[in-house]
Amino acid sequence: MYRYDAIDRAVLADRTAEFRDQVRRRLAGELTEDQFKPLRLMNGLYLQLHAYMLRVAVPYGSLNPVQMRALADIARRFDRGYGHFTTRTNIQFNWVKLADAPDILDALAAVDLHAIQTSGNCIRNVTADPYAGAAADELEDPRVWCEAIRQWSSLHPEFSFLPRKFKIAVTASPRDRTAAKVHDIGLLLRRGRDGETGFEVIVGGGMGRTPYVGPTIRTYLPSDRLFSYLEAILRVYNRHGRRDNIYKARIKILVAALGAEAFAREVEAEWEKIGPEGDLPRAEIDRIGAAFTNPDFVADPASGDFEARRAAEPAFARFVRNNLKAHIRPGYGIVDISLKGIGETPGDISADQMDLVADLAERFGQGDIRSTHEQNLVLPHVRLEHVHEVWKALDAAGLATPNINLISDIIACPGLDYCALANARAICVAQDIARRFEAPDRAEAIGEFKIKISGCINACGHHHVGHIGILGVDKKGEEFYQLTLGGSGAEDAAVGKMLGPALPIDRVTDAVEAIVDAYLRERREGERFLDTLRRTGDAPFKEAVYAEAH
Amino acid sequence: MKALTANRLSDGEVVFWKDGAWVERLSEAQVFSDEAGAGEAEASARTQRTVVIDPYLIDLVDSAGFWAPVSYRERIRALGPTNHELHGKQAEGGGAVEALRQAHGAARSSGRVNLIRRK
Ligand code: HEM
Ligand code: SF4
Repeated sequence: MYRYDAIDRAVLADRTAEFRDQVRRRLAGELTEDQFKPLRLMNGLYLQLHAYMLRVAVPYGSLNPVQMRALADIARRFDRGYGHFTTRTNIQFNWVKLADAPDILDALAAVDLHAIQTSGNCIRNVTADPYAGAAADELEDPRVWCEAIRQWSSLHPEFSFLPRKFKIAVTASPRDRTAAKVHDIGLLLRRGRDGETGFEVIVGGGMGRTPYVGPTIRTYLPSDRLFSYLEAILRVYNRHGRRDNIYKARIKILVAALGAEAFAREVEAEWEKIGPEGDLPRAEIDRIGAAFTNPDFVADPASGDFEARRAAEPAFARFVRNNLKAHIRPGYGIVDISLKGIGETPGDISADQMDLVADLAERFGQGDIRSTHEQNLVLPHVRLEHVHEVWKALDAAGLATPNINLISDIIACPGLDYCALANARAICVAQDIARRFEAPDRAEAIGEFKIKISGCINACGHHHVGHIGILGVDKKGEEFYQLTLGGSGAEDAAVGKMLGPALPIDRVTDAVEAIVDAYLRERREGERFLDTLRRTGDAPFKEAVYAEAH
Repeated sequence: MKALTANRLSDGEVVFWKDGAWVERLSEAQVFSDEAGAGEAEASARTQRTVVIDPYLIDLVDSAGFWAPVSYRERIRALGPTNHELHGKQAEGGGAVEALRQAHGAARSSGRVNLIRRK
């Protein structure tokens, strides 16, 4: 992974010193809340319902064991012994005190972490395929580009006051694990006819109150022209984005208003003006790329008793079926760590669990840990011969729930249990559904099933792209939930369609079960829920949910 | 009935007004029966800029002999996150906490709207 140099470190040190002074001035009354709020947000510090929350950037979801242990340490010293991984692959601490925030930032800086650009109208933390550098179906490591984008966009003055926040995702696999099509910019690495690599550029996707699957504005952008092109997109956005109306300020609104073609023409015209001068020299990309080459792979390692144990131990076999993915190298596997224990809070992880993950990454995983936008963790490089031992250790710590991509692998935003913007809770809804579908045979029989829950229309819980999306609303002082069906955040991205009237909290899990049962009745050989739904339309599901509603 | 609430500047803790100062428990908060008294307290709270952020008034109803906020959002603020029963004010338990959990607030229906952790 990328290592900070002296300049990076100096920037972070300056930044925390500056923030320490700002906090001091706020506490002394020299700054008003109106003056201070934008300053604390620029350092990832939000005020939630019960306390301050600090959002720490995890660049493209990559962490090393030292960083993970530092996060555990922060959780113990400054929080209540846990942290929460988010759908933007970041980690949030929910119980932070204002006076402690500068010390936390110092502790983060000591391990090359920070909270810059986790808030505000700037280019936010860039997200990548969590299997980057490991996935069998990958073209090349997208993190190299993410890191280059991170360096280019960090504290970039021209892009620090955009009309609204700006989120970029990069992937290099045909299977999209980043939800690229619902980002402000999604970059899909492709091989061109000339054998070189380039990007399909998708602009103007998004969720929130007006969800869009982003259109492709360029099917192939040579990768060495990436930065001038990104700059052109951002300039067009900076110039024409709707600064007058916060609900219309995202680039998706601009792209939709102009139309993708007209928007693309504006970008191309701007790109022409910028020219190759706006690009990163190849040598620089190579320099960054060198930090991502992984020297520690063994050629064709033995897989030990992996197959034998898999045959002999059904619980291990289940873990392998659901949580182990194909690695680009023979003899290795990608281990998914589920942060969706049945009845637990999606994305939450205790300090002790963080330490364990750090240890396992160090002992068996080449020191590499990833966070996913589905609020799980990944050990991307584990030798097959070690998978059993890793599984045992994870299992003992409650981290081996074999449910990746299954119905209990639910995304949920913090909702009204923490978030000041929420209309309703999300976590307890996820917990209730997970408990209903706890039986692992049943969950596997149901197959890939993505439930995503948000506590308000801001859609931090990605409900628009859930196979079942669940949105919390406040109906005359009661928590109600609006169901949508048919969304997808993957390569077949789609925005879900509303099923019918919102349901009270105690009817949501029954409704999900009714939908699942209808799917099991309707499905044909090999169909996922999404496939069945696309074939039948939502009528059977509507009937299943609302027929017995009275 | 009304109470006055805010988040404390230094740590974000939910606090309630009591005679010019702030307490952490809703059960100890000053309860206003008249608009004028509540408004006066709010105006005075707004001047405490280095103590609290954004003070505002909330409506209360009776629940099992305790005052509970009408809105479930405010009940969660007064309790803590319902996914971690040992975090936040609810950790100390007791009758006042239980009354908040059981309160139905503004909801018309009953039985499904309290904040008891759903099992
Ligand atoms: C205090 C906590 C939070 C606040 C105040 C907050 C606020 C917001 C707002 C206002 C939006 C809508 C932006 C727009 O459409 O222009 C949004 C979107 C989003 N947030 Fe959050 N959020 C919070 C927590 C989270 C968490 C915990 C996650 C991850 C689990 C998250 C991830 C996202 C994502 C993925 C989107 C939608 C994608 C997009 O359109 O940008 N946020 N958030
Ligand atoms: S979706 Fe709404 S409730 Fe959930 S975290 Fe985002 S802003 Fe808060």
